[in-house]
Amino acid sequence: MNGPLIVQSDKTLLLEVDHDQAGACRRAIAPFAELERAPEHMHTYRVTPLGLWNARAAGHDAEQVVDALVEFSRYPVPHALLVDVAETMARYGRLRLLKHPTHGLVLESSDRPVLEEVLRSKKVQPLVGARVDEDTVVVHLSERGQIKRTLLKLGWPAEDLAGYVDGEAHAIELDESEWSLRPYQKQAVEGFWHGGSGVVVLPCGAGKTLVGAGAMAEAKATTLILVTNTVSARQWKHELVRRTSLTEDEIGEYSGTKKEIRPVTIATYQVLTTRRKGVYPHLELFDSRDWGLIVYDEVHLLPAPVFKFTADLQARRRLGLTATLVREDGRESDVFSLIGPKRFDAPWKEIEAQGYIAPADCVEVRVDLTDSERLTYATAEAEEKYRYCATTDSKRRITEALVKRHQGEQTLVIGQYIDQLDELGEHLGTPVIKGETTNAQRERLFDAFRAGELSVLVVSKVANFSIDLPEATVAIQVSGTFGSRQEEAQRLGRVLRPKADGHEARFYSVVARDTIDQDFAAHRQRFLAEQGYAYRIVDASELLADEDA
Amino acid sequence: MRGRPDSALELLLRARPELLNPVPNNLTQLATRAGTRASVVRAVERLDRFALQVAEALAVAPDPCPYETLRDLLTGDPGTPPEPSHGANAAPHAPPALSPGAGEHPDASSQSGTGPAEDPTNNAAARSATASPDDIHAALPHAVATLRRQALVWGGDDWLRLIRTARELLAPAATRPSPTGLGPTVAEATAGMSPGRLQEVIAAAGLPATHDPVTAVASLTSLFSDRTRMAALLDQAPPQARAVLRKLMWGPPYGSVSAATAETAAAENGVGQAPHPDPGPAGAPQRHATAQGEPAHAASGPAPHLRWLLARGLLLPAGPRNVVLPREVALHLRGGRAHRTAEPVPPPLAPLTEGRTQVVDSAAAGQAYTALATVEELLAEWQSGGPAVLRAGGLSVRDLKRTAGALDVTESMAAFWIELAYAAGLLASDGEADERFAPTPAYDEWLRQPDEQRWARLATAWLVATRTPGLVGGRDAKGRTLAALGPDLDRGAAPEVRRRVLGLLASLPAGGAVPADALLARLAWERPLRGAAGADAPPGDDPRSRLARWALAEAEELGVTGRGALAAHGRALIGPSAPPEPTPTAEALTEHPDSAEQPDSAEHASPTEQAAPTPAELAASGAAAARLLAPLLPQPLDRVLLQADLTAVAPGPLERHLADVLGVLADVESKGGATVYRFTPTSVRRALDTGCTAADLHAFLAEHSRTPVPQPLAYLIDDVGRRHGQLRVGAASGYVRCDDDALLAEILADRRSSGLRLRRLAPTVLAAQADPAVLLERLREMGYAPAAESAEGDVLITRADAYRTPPRSAPTPVPDGPPVPDETLLHAAVRAIRAGDLAATAAHRPAAPSGGDKAAADAAPGAAGDRPAPPATGAGRLPRTTSAETLATMQAAALTGSAVWIGYVNADGAASQRVIAPVRVEGGFVTGYDHTADEVRTYPLHRITGVAELADDAL
Repeated sequence: MNGPLIVQSDKTLLLEVDHDQAGACRRAIAPFAELERAPEHMHTYRVTPLGLWNARAAGHDAEQVVDALVEFSRYPVPHALLVDVAETMARYGRLRLLKHPTHGLVLESSDRPVLEEVLRSKKVQPLVGARVDEDTVVVHLSERGQIKRTLLKLGWPAEDLAGYVDGEAHAIELDESEWSLRPYQKQAVEGFWHGGSGVVVLPCGAGKTLVGAGAMAEAKATTLILVTNTVSARQWKHELVRRTSLTEDEIGEYSGTKKEIRPVTIATYQVLTTRRKGVYPHLELFDSRDWGLIVYDEVHLLPAPVFKFTADLQARRRLGLTATLVREDGRESDVFSLIGPKRFDAPWKEIEAQGYIAPADCVEVRVDLTDSERLTYATAEAEEKYRYCATTDSKRRITEALVKRHQGEQTLVIGQYIDQLDELGEHLGTPVIKGETTNAQRERLFDAFRAGELSVLVVSKVANFSIDLPEATVAIQVSGTFGSRQEEAQRLGRVLRPKADGHEARFYSVVARDTIDQDFAAHRQRFLAEQGYAYRIVDASELLADEDA
Repeated sequence: MRGRPDSALELLLRARPELLNPVPNNLTQLATRAGTRASVVRAVERLDRFALQVAEALAVAPDPCPYETLRDLLTGDPGTPPEPSHGANAAPHAPPALSPGAGEHPDASSQSGTGPAEDPTNNAAARSATASPDDIHAALPHAVATLRRQALVWGGDDWLRLIRTARELLAPAATRPSPTGLGPTVAEATAGMSPGRLQEVIAAAGLPATHDPVTAVASLTSLFSDRTRMAALLDQAPPQARAVLRKLMWGPPYGSVSAATAETAAAENGVGQAPHPDPGPAGAPQRHATAQGEPAHAASGPAPHLRWLLARGLLLPAGPRNVVLPREVALHLRGGRAHRTAEPVPPPLAPLTEGRTQVVDSAAAGQAYTALATVEELLAEWQSGGPAVLRAGGLSVRDLKRTAGALDVTESMAAFWIELAYAAGLLASDGEADERFAPTPAYDEWLRQPDEQRWARLATAWLVATRTPGLVGGRDAKGRTLAALGPDLDRGAAPEVRRRVLGLLASLPAGGAVPADALLARLAWERPLRGAAGADAPPGDDPRSRLARWALAEAEELGVTGRGALAAHGRALIGPSAPPEPTPTAEALTEHPDSAEQPDSAEHASPTEQAAPTPAELAASGAAAARLLAPLLPQPLDRVLLQADLTAVAPGPLERHLADVLGVLADVESKGGATVYRFTPTSVRRALDTGCTAADLHAFLAEHSRTPVPQPLAYLIDDVGRRHGQLRVGAASGYVRCDDDALLAEILADRRSSGLRLRRLAPTVLAAQADPAVLLERLREMGYAPAAESAEGDVLITRADAYRTPPRSAPTPVPDGPPVPDETLLHAAVRAIRAGDLAATAAHRPAAPSGGDKAAADAAPGAAGDRPAPPATGAGRLPRTTSAETLATMQAAALTGSAVWIGYVNADGAASQRVIAPVRVEGGFVTGYDHTADEVRTYPLHRITGVAELADDAL
């Protein structure tokens, strides 16, 4: 009666963090419940069918789940919920995809009515072939991904036991002479390799690239790595050369500018999804080699067409890397069925506590608009409102003040609107990295920033993803893509890399008071708070007063 | 009855309380009353299955019936080998082996179709408890004693007699087959048979001839009852005949010999088609007739095998096209058993799952707490602007849906909570003109009580309520949807079933639970359904089973049970009146058959006869339950956890005051064991609207937070507080505006302006509660010269009012006299006039027959002579003829196609003359072409006063 867990009727679980058993409880429920919010006292987990099936895929059974709930719960767990958990979990694995010696791929069921039910579905019919016997039906090889996706939608997720092709062998070793995988990275690699395919969830800055490298060293096969953009591709290449036995020549880049296909090829989503005359000309990449492993970086950004290609790649091992399974488009179920179940996750705070990422101090600075700005804002067209309030002069002044305050520290100013950034760059006398900046120029600037030659850098959203700026200790965001939580996570990630001196990172959001900007900020801030980052709200006037004092 | 001791009478009156109302004057009156049909029906309906089977067996047994005969009827012939009878009892799935008679021809394939389609309770019983003859021996004395106690059976063990009314009720009759499936006796079935036919039967059966029908019947009966002679007789039977007998053996015993034509093939088909052996109260014989095609025959005569049976009286005619299997024959075939399966032992409550009592209690307590929260939420939802009462009473489906959505439960659950609150008196309709449902004042009182007492109030109300929310959403006999809180939801049996279900659960060891089906099977055994109530319902769906199922579900929701087992507080709730369940076998073992004559002690009172608790008992058991529940309910907290993501988590129930304030200050995000609140600008503003200041809110949060108030939350409150009330809104009827502050000050200071209720909003604006016209007038009176201002701020120029109507059209002239007719009308008019003229002036033939006028002569050959029709001479006089003449004339005219002149009185009584050419005369109407109206019309003959033929040259 005194456990740390409270089970709510909407299937959320509240975990009291300060409770003695909180740690044990967290370990018990983590396999099947998604951490939704992790503020300071009570963490909220959600039990979803996907989560329960993830747990099943990881080898947990309903009894363990029920036991965990009953053991740690403070109040009696509603019987209906336990029954529901058991029933949901029992749905996974009733259908299995297997390799058949003569028929290739088959769908087999241990529960005939279920098989009958799904076969009756119009969506399944085109995907399957002849009935082998009462419990088995042939599945067209090419539809392995599609059928998994369809069955999941029908509520009967199939367990994919059809195995993987080994792919073309290629020797890859980790070069751990100067460093070694962190324990959680090792666990992640093991979890993935054991499960075959799946997604590893790690916070930004926790070394997802190394998990990828670890997986490649396990596979020892040719690898296709899909990343969000060219800068990120270069980053991967750089890391791989540094951390593994691979040489520059073995790693190819397949992007808008280069079309190299090597044993390890890094391609951008953008080039893959380029469409000319209704066809995707770069799809041949997938077939150009017998890939043994496909790595998807930033799974939560995976564009929809890539899902489609992925559906055809079900015979190859797939590793997804991401900081969050939350997709703004709600396609979590596609990630589950096409890339694989979650194989490993660790919350930010836990990794931060282990000292692998820097703690951060998040501050929201509320700026009072001047009277004339308020009037302009009030009369602006609805679609112009955000742009206007996000780019007001008042905000610029505060931003400059903040930069001045953290003089000498590596500071990033991040924004959405180019003219605002240009203006800021001009006032601060710093270079601006934006979409039109060439890759060479970008890398030159990043190098300068890394080397400390440059202490302030203004970046647009091109820098949102997968750039590594180890020494940034202060980030100031002046405007964002409305209320995107994902963007917030990425931006925060920019300052979370471990600092040489253990210095606390600062994350400022400059927000115009009483405007739509504030509402969006509230949305993003809620995300920060839910991730467990204490944040403060400060009036710009106070901040400036401190400055003066 | 007179010989019974007082205690036995008391037991009788306890078992059949209706006999007490009014108190009988003497024993004769009591006995008479106990023998009335209504009373007996009620008593019989309350018997458990075995007692009922015993009573049914008695009803088919000779009267009076010795105890041994009765026992044999239930166990089967004593002489028969135990295997088949045992097999029959153990496995009704194998009907061919049922009885020795059929056992000779175990034609499994043809019989399998007739396999037991009994309700699953029978099967369950047969599965779980094999009713061996020993069980029957053991249970029979108790059953007889029960019947005796109920005054349904009287007489000593050697001559048990079922009282007459009960016998009539239970004995087989043509219209109402007995549940035993047995037909009438030979004597009854041959009652209307001619002695000669009887002789033939006797002869065919190989019996010595006798002329006395009574003797003949007696000898036939004794032949059929004699197992050995009967077996010998049956051995000679053709196989098809035996198949027919097997079909009818377990009932219904009636077969039809009418419909089909095929002979032997039909018989075989019929066997394959397998009519429903319906041991329960089956439908009427008509149904059997249609269901059974097998003894069907061409009208030319029965098939040989049927003829064989009929000739020997093994089948007896029952009506023109039906035959019946006499009871003695059926009993022989069944090996002497009245029932296919005797069920002396109640189905066990198994399999038992033992739960830890602690788990059960805490699960139930958790649910009890949820129940309280749900009811509270429901009533809070309804306390402002509750749903309207439908005109037919009750709650509309839409409102139910909405409430279900608000409570986040299914609609049927929502109906349950609503009805529960209603039963507990927490909710009622307000009785206003615009009738709505709203919480009652008792709700406020209830809110103030401690949790456990609140629960007890709900639970006791539920226990005795006759309203059954499970019916909501269903349809009544007239097809109307039954609405929650609406009429027709009362089911008298509900409380008793509810108590019984809980009583059965209470009989299990603490923490034990059994599957619902086992419970339902037991309930069905204890109170088998007689009559039509359960006949058409699929098994397990009869009204009592449904009530029981609902009772189980509701008990779980209410927290009386936890995980299917009765919780300690649930046990206390049903009170000490629930006796420990005596297991009948054990009880019967301890009881020597001799003692059956003795009245049973009180503990043997059938468990179904528990009296409903008095209000005082109910209150006491409620209080006891509350005491047990109290320590299990979570203690209210006075602290919440505030978090930086602007949520507050109450890790348990909150003290009422705290919950109320927090409910305003924040939105509830998730409920359950804990409550998660979220602070939003809107919710904080709502709190400020209630009159709190930002400082109050800070103080409140600081007081009730276990941890320091997070900075973002404090900031949020300040931020909303800063803006709250910045804009002010009020109502004014007029205003006074002036650029000169001093002048406004002067007006405000003037005592004469006080009636205008002026208020200074700004240095240059006064707001007034008087409307502009008054304002202008009064200011003018005060010597000022105000000007009116339009909504746009322009000065209004006043002019004398010139009032106008809305646009109107000019009146249309009403000329004197009718308008000039146009051409068409004139033509029509002339035509009408001509036709009328024709009718009036046509030279009529005299109605009296004149030689050569065949029409008239045909029509009224006799009547016309002595009663000449009044001559229809003068124009304008209606022709008068007798109705017979009228009819005849009309028919003649219709034949010849000639026109006639009629007098006609319309529905308003107005008389007119018409010339018509009849086309058709039938059904009291004449249809014809009406020259007057120029169309085909139909006239009722009785309205035609008379008819006359037209002179030949009239048209």
